[in-house]
Amino acid sequence: MKYVEYINKLIKDEVLRADRMVIFGQNINAGSCLSGLTKNLKVKKGNLIINTPNCENSLVGIGFGAMMNGVSAAFMMKQQDFLLLGIDQLVNTYNIIRQRSAGEGSFTIMTIIVDNGYEGPQSRLNHFGDFCSIAGIQGFTITNTADAKEIISSQFNAPGFRIIGISQRLFKQEIMEMNVLSVSPDRSVFQYAQGKQATIICFNLSLPYGVVMAGRLKEKGLSASLFSVNSPVPVNWDELVHDINKTGTLILIDDLKSRNLASDNLLVKVLGHCTLKQKFIIRRRPEENVFSPHHDQMVIDYDHIVGQLATEWQGGLKSAEI
Amino acid sequence: MEHQDKIKIAQEVLRLRLSQILVNDRYKKGDFKVPIHLALGHEAIAVAVSAIMEGKDQLVLTHRNIHYNLARAGSLKGELDEYYLKPQGLARGLLGSMNLDNDNRGVVYSSSILGNNLPVAAGLSLGNKVKSQESIVIVVTGDGAIEEGSFYESLVFLKSNGLSELIIIENNQWSLATRIEERRCPIDLAKFADSLGVRYEIFSSNNPFEYISKLADYRQWSLSNKAPVCVEVQLTTLGHWRMKTDGYPEGKFINYHAGPAPDVDSQKDYIFTSTKEDVVFVLREHFKKEEIEAMADRILSQLQKEIA
Ligand SMILES: Cc1ncc(C[n+]2csc(CCOP(=O)(O)OP(=O)(O)O)c2C)c(N)n1
Ligand SMILES: [Mg+2]
Repeated sequence: MKYVEYINKLIKDEVLRADRMVIFGQNINAGSCLSGLTKNLKVKKGNLIINTPNCENSLVGIGFGAMMNGVSAAFMMKQQDFLLLGIDQLVNTYNIIRQRSAGEGSFTIMTIIVDNGYEGPQSRLNHFGDFCSIAGIQGFTITNTADAKEIISSQFNAPGFRIIGISQRLFKQEIMEMNVLSVSPDRSVFQYAQGKQATIICFNLSLPYGVVMAGRLKEKGLSASLFSVNSPVPVNWDELVHDINKTGTLILIDDLKSRNLASDNLLVKVLGHCTLKQKFIIRRRPEENVFSPHHDQMVIDYDHIVGQLATEWQGGLKSAEI
Repeated sequence: MEHQDKIKIAQEVLRLRLSQILVNDRYKKGDFKVPIHLALGHEAIAVAVSAIMEGKDQLVLTHRNIHYNLARAGSLKGELDEYYLKPQGLARGLLGSMNLDNDNRGVVYSSSILGNNLPVAAGLSLGNKVKSQESIVIVVTGDGAIEEGSFYESLVFLKSNGLSELIIIENNQWSLATRIEERRCPIDLAKFADSLGVRYEIFSSNNPFEYISKLADYRQWSLSNKAPVCVEVQLTTLGHWRMKTDGYPEGKFINYHAGPAPDVDSQKDYIFTSTKEDVVFVLREHFKKEEIEAMADRILSQLQKEIA
């Protein structure tokens, strides 16, 4: 099943089950229905599916108003860049109403992050963390079957407000089927593997790169712990720090183009609490942060990293043998 | 209008039409990585806008800008190279399609964010006032983009500050895959503009000769009266197709928004409908069929040579 089909199925189930639900957005019920994301939605009698006009700032405010009135509102967006128009509501409205109990009311913005490249200077923003951090908004990204299921079922209709970001570059790919070992209570950190020689930590939408990395290490007989940090606002790093200290090697992958990175917070923690044998920090190099149409993908030298680790561990094994 | 002038205008219309068809040929082959919004059916207004621009006039565009850029550039090669992201492209391969501008020819900004270009245009108009510069800003928007608050806000600003500007609203009735009645109440632009004391005009004939003479008048009026003019252009975006799916034996109507138009091809006819929705059909009221065909043949072979 494709990534977008899987998420569509989960949303359909949530929307069909919900009471007092309004799901809205531009073109959500017309044409390709956001490339399949909102296809074939059905709601209970009296609930609404609305193809809205193009007015994002108002649409964000409308979501908050509906939530204040005890309704489950979901604003489905074709492109995260358009959420920039709603920043006033995201910050100024939420900063007030967050202080009250939302009661049963829920508001979810689910937005497609245009990270597939070549869309041009005004369709390149993958700075999910910035949207969340600007008003301390809960946010979650989705890359695979496990986090999709967990996040959509626990968040889509839950009381309160959050943003869920999904990746356009993954839309037409087969969705990664992942088995989860553990999920943190706030669903900010998902662990997918436990290993001995390295700790791979992926941020934002970069888990697919981490999966490749883990696979390449495995080919060399090296095992890695694999984590995804799906949420950009305060994360409890203790478990990750514990794992890094066990393996002694950190491979950090963060695909965000922002200059304000949750992975920096982790690194500060690591600096104070970990002794590392090796570290590989894979992030956007400044020269990769291009504003013209561009492939936009992370370029990772897997061979180099695997080579370094293999050498280290061969050396380690030899000395252990002696 | 002199016959000679009319011929030039008809040639421009055909050049815009045929250039887009050639872009579409390449698009269908999968040549471009950047998304392109063709504007088949929008040629008349683009030719007219370009024709009335003078001196330091500035043009501000949207995601659907191919027709205006072709009209301003006067050739296809630079635009095509831009779509290939080549350094010799109109914008050195740095902008692609949705944001393509061409400062040398007065296209100063193109935005793919709906409504984003309207305040920028108002700022350019403000600049003209401060500099006492007798030139006009022409901004293009659509029936979908006018739903953004910035449309209202910009008009209020223009009117409040006595600024000259032509606001061209290309009304094709669609925003992506939703028709107006599927997404909102009607907006009566005449009344809306009137409520702000803004002059409003409507174009619906798809007649480029009429558009040119009227637009030139509005330009002059706007400059003399230091006030904006809203020009709604009713048009049809051509290039739709029918998709065979269950329940639609005749094929389901798919409106053209962006991407390659599957049924459009340089091997096929370059006229799409025998109604005034198609500017090439409108041209046939002014020229003999053979005259148009001769012009089109000549232009097509010139274009093919240009991009060979
Ligand atoms: C702020 C914003 N919201 C949504 C979109 C997505 N979008 C791109 S084109 C389009 C339709 C615009 O309709 P209209 O202004 O009538 O122009 P047309 O495509 O019909 O020429 C939409 C909704 C966008 N580009 N910007
Ligand atoms: Mg439109």
